[in-house]
Amino acid sequence: MNCQKARVLMSAAVDCELSLKEEQGFLLHLSECKECKDEFEEAKKTKMIIKEKIVQFKAPQTLINSIMELTSLSTVEHEDTILFE
Amino acid sequence: MDKPDPTRHVKTRTKKESLSREERQKQLEFQTEAVVHLNSLYNYALHLTMNPSDAEDLVQETYLKAYRFFNSFERGTNCKAWLFKILKNNYINRFRKNSKEPGKVDYDLIKDFYHSIKDVQNDTSEAESDYFHSLLHEEVYQALQSLPEEFKEVIQLCDIDGFTYEEIANMVESPIGTVRSRLYRGRKLLREQLEGYAKKYGINTDNHQ
Repeated sequence: MNCQKARVLMSAAVDCELSLKEEQGFLLHLSECKECKDEFEEAKKTKMIIKEKIVQFKAPQTLINSIMELTSLSTVEHEDTILFE
Repeated sequence: MDKPDPTRHVKTRTKKESLSREERQKQLEFQTEAVVHLNSLYNYALHLTMNPSDAEDLVQETYLKAYRFFNSFERGTNCKAWLFKILKNNYINRFRKNSKEPGKVDYDLIKDFYHSIKDVQNDTSEAESDYFHSLLHEEVYQALQSLPEEFKEVIQLCDIDGFTYEEIANMVESPIGTVRSRLYRGRKLLREQLEGYAKKYGINTDNHQ
């Protein structure tokens, strides 16, 4: 495998999306090419940075309530009917 | 509160009840399959719209549509991916029509937006001195937002929402090979951006390994 081919596989390697055969070829190339190995490490680090640093916000309670209402409206109506009959 | 007297509604358990049992089952399934992804959807909507109230509208519309078409959801497939796709379509239909210039990044908007809703997650980065740890949430966010849409999108779907390449390919309607190369180039661009921040603050970005 040459560097060009390794770069094509780089992201998939970071995300564990390579086939077994691709992975073997890729790792073999890394063991021989420092440049690609460094780039691979950097790419993994970049993914980690994104995962750790991008804040996930909590949906506001009003939104949660309205979604719950949306999907249970008819249940409530139905129960009410029973209760008041 | 008084419990309803069971004998009172025995005679009302008629057709209405069996009809709604089906509906109730659908609701239950919808809640366990779809509503559990509410937070992820909200965040996705925030990233797309950069506006909390638009994001809420978008999520609400998405769930409304998803519930109505829940029968067409292919059981056993990833419901989160299905919801994301509905949300994305809604977004395109609703916001892109009257959108600002595509590809234009408003850094002030990003900054304001970020500060206006930042209240979660404490920053653990203080004591650390290396490049990785010294990056702030806001800088990473800004760097991500500044990427061209096609790169930002796949990074978001892959790194933040954890979809597989196959799911992403389906969502962005492109072959897996395209997803691979967009992720590769997108991460590279992002890294350059982040190194830019680091240099600005005089942080050493060399890889000490």
